[in-house]
Amino acid sequence: MTIAKIEKLDRLIEATATARDARTGSLWRQSIRRMRRSPMAITGAVIVGLFVLVAVVGPWVAPYDPTAQTWGREVFLNRNIFPGPRPENWFGLDHLGRDMFSRMIVGARQTLLVGVVATFIGFIAGAFIGGIAAAAGTFGGRWGERLEAVIMRAVDVALAIPMLLLALSVAALLGPSLRTVMIAVGVAQIPIFARLLRGSMLAQAHSDYVLAAIAIGVPKGRIVVSHILPNSLGPVIVQATLVLATAIIEAAALSYLGLGNPDPGSAEWGTMLADAQRFLSGAPQLAIYPAIGIIVTALGFTLLGEAMRESLDPRLRRQE
Amino acid sequence: MALLEVEDLRVAFGASTAVDGVSFSVPEGKVVGLVGESGCGKSVTSLAIMGLLPKRRNGRPAPVTASRPVTVEAADGGTVAAPTGPPPSATAVAPVLRRRGSGADVSGRAVFDGTDLLSLAPAAMRRRRGKDLAMVFQDPLSSLNPVVPIGRQITEVLERHRGLKGDKASKEAANLLDRVGIPDPTRRLKEYPHQLSGGMRQRVLIAIAVACNPRLLIADEPTTALDVTIQAQILELLKDLVEAEGTALLMITHDLGVVAGICDEVNVLYSGRVVESAPVRELFAAPTHPYTVGLLGSIPRLDLPIHEPLTPIRGSIADVIRWHDGCAFAPRCDRVAAPCVAGEPALVGAVHAHRCVMAEEVA
Amino acid sequence: MSTEQHAEPHVPAQRTEGPDLSTAATGPVAAPLLEVEDLKVHFPIRRGIVVERVVGHVQAVDGVGLSIDSGGTYGLVGESGCGKTTFGRAVLRLEEPTGGRVRLGGDEVTAMKGEKLRRFRSKMQMVFQDPLGSLNPRHNVDMLLSEPLKVHGVGSKAERRKLAVETLDAVGLPKSVLERFPHEFSGGQRQRLGIARALMLRPDLIVCDEPVSALDVSIQAQVMNLLDELQDEFGLTYLVIAHDLAVVRHLSDRVGVMYLGKLVEEADSETIYEHPRHPYTKALLSAVPQPDPEVEANRERIILKGDLPSPANPPSGCRFRTRCPWAEDICAEVEPEWREAASGHKVACHFDL
Repeated sequence: MTIAKIEKLDRLIEATATARDARTGSLWRQSIRRMRRSPMAITGAVIVGLFVLVAVVGPWVAPYDPTAQTWGREVFLNRNIFPGPRPENWFGLDHLGRDMFSRMIVGARQTLLVGVVATFIGFIAGAFIGGIAAAAGTFGGRWGERLEAVIMRAVDVALAIPMLLLALSVAALLGPSLRTVMIAVGVAQIPIFARLLRGSMLAQAHSDYVLAAIAIGVPKGRIVVSHILPNSLGPVIVQATLVLATAIIEAAALSYLGLGNPDPGSAEWGTMLADAQRFLSGAPQLAIYPAIGIIVTALGFTLLGEAMRESLDPRLRRQE
Repeated sequence: MALLEVEDLRVAFGASTAVDGVSFSVPEGKVVGLVGESGCGKSVTSLAIMGLLPKRRNGRPAPVTASRPVTVEAADGGTVAAPTGPPPSATAVAPVLRRRGSGADVSGRAVFDGTDLLSLAPAAMRRRRGKDLAMVFQDPLSSLNPVVPIGRQITEVLERHRGLKGDKASKEAANLLDRVGIPDPTRRLKEYPHQLSGGMRQRVLIAIAVACNPRLLIADEPTTALDVTIQAQILELLKDLVEAEGTALLMITHDLGVVAGICDEVNVLYSGRVVESAPVRELFAAPTHPYTVGLLGSIPRLDLPIHEPLTPIRGSIADVIRWHDGCAFAPRCDRVAAPCVAGEPALVGAVHAHRCVMAEEVA
Repeated sequence: MSTEQHAEPHVPAQRTEGPDLSTAATGPVAAPLLEVEDLKVHFPIRRGIVVERVVGHVQAVDGVGLSIDSGGTYGLVGESGCGKTTFGRAVLRLEEPTGGRVRLGGDEVTAMKGEKLRRFRSKMQMVFQDPLGSLNPRHNVDMLLSEPLKVHGVGSKAERRKLAVETLDAVGLPKSVLERFPHEFSGGQRQRLGIARALMLRPDLIVCDEPVSALDVSIQAQVMNLLDELQDEFGLTYLVIAHDLAVVRHLSDRVGVMYLGKLVEEADSETIYEHPRHPYTKALLSAVPQPDPEVEANRERIILKGDLPSPANPPSGCRFRTRCPWAEDICAEVEPEWREAASGHKVACHFDL
């Protein structure tokens, strides 16, 4: 029996020497594993998943044509009394007699598109600017430092302008359209991403493993691309998720201000909110549906982003 | 009866056991060492004695939230040597707490002067802490409140436990600083922690700890963060305080050199248990447990012939088995044999006790 | 790339032929492998919000010279803030020296620039204090170990892997760890990885900056023994930087003691521990607690007063005089010269203590 135990012990020693337990795998894989256990991440993922699903399949599952004024006559004859939820129109009708449920479903796609494209623009352009600044400041010598200073002061100026104002000016320049909203919201996010990536990269640039890479003789460009950048992206990606939520709200705001899709018939949550304004006292439900849609979606992305931030937290990472 | 008797102390964080049945005693006026490497449970032991671990009672989760790592102190708002800042040693424990999202299961007894500290209500414990027992932590900077002058941090303790107010308190604070060897104490009272050097900060912490003449002082790696010449100063100071006041000192350290210099009795910890316990001279003269032997063989000595090869312990602390499967040190032990994994090794011997079934055969 | 010819990779085959000392053993008299002369590193202290002005300098390293024979180990000891880490980094040009010269195997490191310096780095490597922080968390062991070879254009992918496995074996890690990431290892194993990475290019010099201070006692001994073995196996020359006198004594043949940016004493490790001449060395030695209660009970401690002065504003004359138990007037006025008090025993003190 004791011999069996000794063997067990040997196996155990063997196992601990080559163990691949919970600590295994790359950092990303670990983060995902941690997120699967977090209620916050699950809630966020469910909301975002539902939203994306609706956005993708919306036009095929919507019971009615969102632009058709099917019950226009009924609304008109009833002197602008818009029926609330009823069996054939789950969310009721809007002021032109269109089916609100269909409009909400189809509107999700536009909302998602605006959010994703705007965030993408902000992320790519901001990361590029911030990355250049950080790389120049770290390895570019005297001139690099100057370049970094110039870029970052410009970013500071852009940051000082209220985001909505910045988006408004861009939108005003380009004229109202869905593309305008995307670009405007995206541009407004650039300085945030630029600052964030630069800060994150500078922190990594002073770490020991970067010093180790210099000591090995790794060329500067390679240090930036293969050491600093991959370790700096975590917080920026988290920010992107959070920005997606803001972008959706801002896009709604721009549409609300009339800078969105000029086609009055198009279904977009921000435009719907703007339209509902006139009937707020008589038919608040027209505003409530798109508002809840925007809030829940933004909440979903925020939860997901926060959960990601927590799971990527280096302090936690070191423990396990 | 010793001043402090710790009996079968167990601390578990969720499924992981940090302290697994530790017993030792601290006699009045003596210096007792708890020695071991990281993860052996020595700091958790001291926090448990001080009641600084958030407890989980009757299966109810302790008032610790998952997102706040340093609630160890906030759990009862206690004043120790660190009046406002969180105890830094607790930060070593905090991640565990944070991961489990709950407190520690503490069982066993820690009888101090006839009272079991572990069964005291938080309020009663708070009254004793800083007065009867005080603690000094490893990192003096984070143990002091950075925005409060050190004078105020000392007088706070004096007000609380000795009822001194105003000028009297300031005067006593200056006395204390003088006693711990800080020159120009009246001026120093107005300074902030960041204006002091590491050694000075540790002196301030010690001043706070001894402010109420505690009967037991617990020092958790008090010199680890300091340079060797400053370490010598602080050790000298602790020795003097202990001798002058008759305070008992529980010294928690990983450094066998520090132990040899200051302790009267030593307990060596491995994987949450005492594996050897003896008066200091006996321990160093005749170490019995293979872990103690290994530790001593791992340390390069200044007083032995140069380039004498070291005899390290193989493997690492991660390679442990559970005690009830046998000896936890077995995977790293050179003497390992069948009896080692046949069952739980007991702590044998009275004065010089050890937890090794092979000890007799070897010795 | 045309620069590849002079990269001179030390391919694995050379390992079996014994230590590669070609750079050092060319002359008739074995010249020292590393020669450092009057090395200075001063950091400017800047003030001002809009326009930055330099208001002073922190003299982190202020004129340190030493030489290490090929295959030897030089231990540099001192307390935090004495400039030993900065010195080590300046030798490797990881910190820009303000003045002085560093020669490695006859090549002047301090005169090199750009690509030439980058190529030259294959001859000098570093082992860091924090084993986890010095390993890129997103690179697995294979990437960590093959990167030095890749950037110096050594070998094919298969050859690089073979060399990585050989080096892992030399530091006592199994081949199976290649796919694992740094956070999956224990502290001691991580330090082995750090050492393996430094070994990949088969350098002549390795600067070990506090190689064991982040490790547990039982692991420290493993790593120190490993460093010893590797020195014989690969014919390495070490510059060991540490605050722990016992660690330095154990590893080194020659020891230098630094205080506030300057060397105060240098001798063979036996001599310096038996007959320290500088008061600071004496104090340091007397302060190290020994794991032996008999020794501890009977020894004379020299307890230094006060703390380290600011390196931005060092004391006049002898820098140690503010804490020195033997200080006299002359110490404040005249800076003691760096003199040879006995054969091979240098000290910077006015007195013969």
